[in-house]
Amino acid sequence: MTELATPLQGARQETRAGRHRGVLAAAWVLSLLAILTFLVVYPLLTLLLGALTDTNPVVEGFSLAHLSITNFLTVLSNPNVGEALFNTLVACGGGTLIAVAIGLTFSWIVVRTNTPFKRFIAAASILPLFAPPLVAGVAWTILGSPKTGLINIMFKWLHLDLHVDFYSLPGLVFVFGIYYAPYVYMFTASALRNMEPNLEEAAEISGASAFATLFSVTFPLIMPAIISGMLLSFIVMLGIYGIPAVLGAPTNINVLTTYIFKLTNWSPPLYNTAAAVAIILMVVTGALVFLQQRVVSGRSYVTVAGKAYRPRNLDLGPWRWLTFGFGITYLIVVAVLPTLALIVAAFRKFMFIRDAASLFDMKQYSLMHFHSIFDNPLTLNSIYNAVEVGVITALAGGALAFAIGYTIHRTHVPGRRSIDLLSTLPVAIPGLVIGVAYLWAWIGIPGGLYGTLWILALAFIARFMPDTVKALSTSFLQIHRELEEAAWVCGTGMLRTIRTIVLPLASPGVIAAMTLLFVLAIRELGSSLFLYTSNTMVMSVLLLDYYEGGNLGKTAAFSLVQTVLLGVLIGGANWLSRGAAQGSVARTG
Amino acid sequence: MKKKIVAKIVTMAGIAGLAIALAAPAMAQQEFGSSELIAAAKAEGKLVYYTANFAEVEQQVINAFNKRFPEIKVEMVRAPGGQLITRVKTEAAAGKLIADVVDHSDRALMLPLVDMFQDYAPPNAADYRPDAQISPKLWPRATLVWSIAYNTELVKNPPKTWMDLTKPEYDKMTGQVFAQSGGTTWTRIMFERQVLGEDYWKKQAATHPILYPSGAPMADSMVRGEVAMGPLLYNAIYPKQKDGAPIKIFFPPEGVPVNPYSSGIPKTAAHPNAAKLFLNWCLSNEGQTFMIKELGNLTSLKVAPVYPEGFDPKVVKVWFPNFDEYVKLHGPWVAEWDKTFGYRQ
Repeated sequence: MTELATPLQGARQETRAGRHRGVLAAAWVLSLLAILTFLVVYPLLTLLLGALTDTNPVVEGFSLAHLSITNFLTVLSNPNVGEALFNTLVACGGGTLIAVAIGLTFSWIVVRTNTPFKRFIAAASILPLFAPPLVAGVAWTILGSPKTGLINIMFKWLHLDLHVDFYSLPGLVFVFGIYYAPYVYMFTASALRNMEPNLEEAAEISGASAFATLFSVTFPLIMPAIISGMLLSFIVMLGIYGIPAVLGAPTNINVLTTYIFKLTNWSPPLYNTAAAVAIILMVVTGALVFLQQRVVSGRSYVTVAGKAYRPRNLDLGPWRWLTFGFGITYLIVVAVLPTLALIVAAFRKFMFIRDAASLFDMKQYSLMHFHSIFDNPLTLNSIYNAVEVGVITALAGGALAFAIGYTIHRTHVPGRRSIDLLSTLPVAIPGLVIGVAYLWAWIGIPGGLYGTLWILALAFIARFMPDTVKALSTSFLQIHRELEEAAWVCGTGMLRTIRTIVLPLASPGVIAAMTLLFVLAIRELGSSLFLYTSNTMVMSVLLLDYYEGGNLGKTAAFSLVQTVLLGVLIGGANWLSRGAAQGSVARTG
Repeated sequence: MKKKIVAKIVTMAGIAGLAIALAAPAMAQQEFGSSELIAAAKAEGKLVYYTANFAEVEQQVINAFNKRFPEIKVEMVRAPGGQLITRVKTEAAAGKLIADVVDHSDRALMLPLVDMFQDYAPPNAADYRPDAQISPKLWPRATLVWSIAYNTELVKNPPKTWMDLTKPEYDKMTGQVFAQSGGTTWTRIMFERQVLGEDYWKKQAATHPILYPSGAPMADSMVRGEVAMGPLLYNAIYPKQKDGAPIKIFFPPEGVPVNPYSSGIPKTAAHPNAAKLFLNWCLSNEGQTFMIKELGNLTSLKVAPVYPEGFDPKVVKVWFPNFDEYVKLHGPWVAEWDKTFGYRQ
């Protein structure tokens, strides 16, 4: 009797356990959906409502009485919007092509070749991430202005019949391209690092040249990473305000973000129209995201399996100095020149530079701009606040993105597609407009969220969720299920499997995603503009203030402070992530 | 004996002197409010200050105020005009307005919000020009004045009047702040059309000016040499000239448009006494003198305590806009300006 009862009881216990697991899964999905609704859906609905009315929903109350599509019609019939859209697509499209070319080349150089000083090149290739867009814009206006640019002054000094003009679309494409290459690099480098070399070896044994192998085996294998990086860099460029604001303004070249900023900045401000422009931008981006998912879905990109391997290095012979030279050139263009420009502006009393001789006149230089920014009590406050918000955003946002990424890519729970969709929605909502939507949506929440750093952090987590989830997804896509299945066969529970198998394997991706989130949060300007209060001023807002206050010297000085700070913080994170990457390779071996 | 008497007299005089010296600051402080107000303000210890002016400029004002009242901390939120109004409206509607003082450059945008403000008048209320105010609750804390500035390294034959700015020889050398940017620029373009003539915009647009979103970046561009000349708010360019930049500024003879700010204390202010004391100080002779001398403002006081450098009240004609027209003409005229300058069709 007892012998019979045991298996029956066991079966009952198993069904109970199964039901229990089902309830848990449903609760899990529901809680994720609830978080996403609060963070994404609710502000988006507020934005949509804003676009469909001509009122401020908080002031006039949430009412559906005056809905109309007038704002959309006004926007669509305005030729300036069409022009701004065209400029946006040219600048971001061109910029993305340059970014992919640079980013992919660098990841190959760093991960797969024996180029000398690789670590140095690896560091150089993520350097532009330190520079907030406004800083980049300011640096390139100092360098590339057709009238007063340092490059033109040097050309004249060297008696060269050359002239550059960065106040133009090609100028914008160039600056976008060089500054957003790290996004492509970050994804493709980690994919290359995690790739098993046996397919490449097979290609070579079959007689393919190194070059052919690269294009027929290596790059196609890391295609999800390339597309993710490409799409992300395109989308990030779509939302950038600082660079086109500085370089486009003198010749009145508008992109959608600068156009939206103008709408919100006019007196009286036209938020509802701005919301309509933002929604058009969202539709464009939505189409892109859909396209990307069509490309990636239905193919297997598993490159990390349960076997030991070591990524190999290609011996470039003397050509390795060419790749090294390429790295140095990039470093000079993207970091050395802009930094020099900022240094000149930060230490020079006035930026009127008659000729090259006056550039080297040491009497023109002083510490006055640094004294004056540190005399301002807001400066130190803003640094402290920005770092605190950055850390909160990176930790909370990273954890949430991991939970979402894992649910989407590693489970079969019902509702995961909705989670995927919702977490991708904020993808290219321009910060300037969603900032107002966050304010509208969250100001009324009881408990005093408004006026704290948390409201800023929540906005950043929501806004950068797609970027973080995308960054993590690449790592998830690469880890073969057999590793998890092996753990389950051995009787390890799901949480323990995540902790002991998935997390360690994905940790380079997790740390990369958190670093990215930290940097994005520190640099984010648009959504902070409406959410900060006197106690929660952050660096990016203060920097805009210095810039709008018309003091290039102070702007440059504060930019340098910010750059150094970000450099130190990212350097630390990069060092951490490299440790983690090596650790995970060791464990798989 | 004599010595003793002398010593006594000296001592007494000393005591009297000391008493006067000690009493003087207290007497002087009366200018800014009753001793009860000052005590209450000090007890509050802080205020939150929303302003549409540049943070850097306002930080100097706060520092000067703190020299007089170091016990009161001023926390500033600075946003461009349009954004500031949206923030104030939204916060107020949600019951979360944390501002104790709201300070705005566009009086027309403040007009619909008048009910949000409490009754307030500074001790020297009677000294102010009534036409600088749109409501007895809102005061012209700052009064900005337009001027023409040029880079002396680039301009050998400088303009002398507003009309000179339209000369063909200055083609592609001038800069302008666009009309939509806010109250101060709106005042200027209104002046141009009403005083300088219906076709002034057209003539000026023919010189292909570079358009700027606000005066501050334009002032910086002028110092760098990106533009050579143009109309600028005196307070945007004066500090740079004072620091030694290659800039000259003048007040043209046809007149100078003036834009008074509008500042008040919301009914919901958590630190109303500190707010009153701050505004009292800003509006006092001492506060206005500081803003004129150090920042290059003008004043809406009937009798100006001083004038900014280069401003001769006998020669320069100030021009205050008619407020009804200021509100009424804004929409259609700005649209026309945009069209004329090809800024936004």
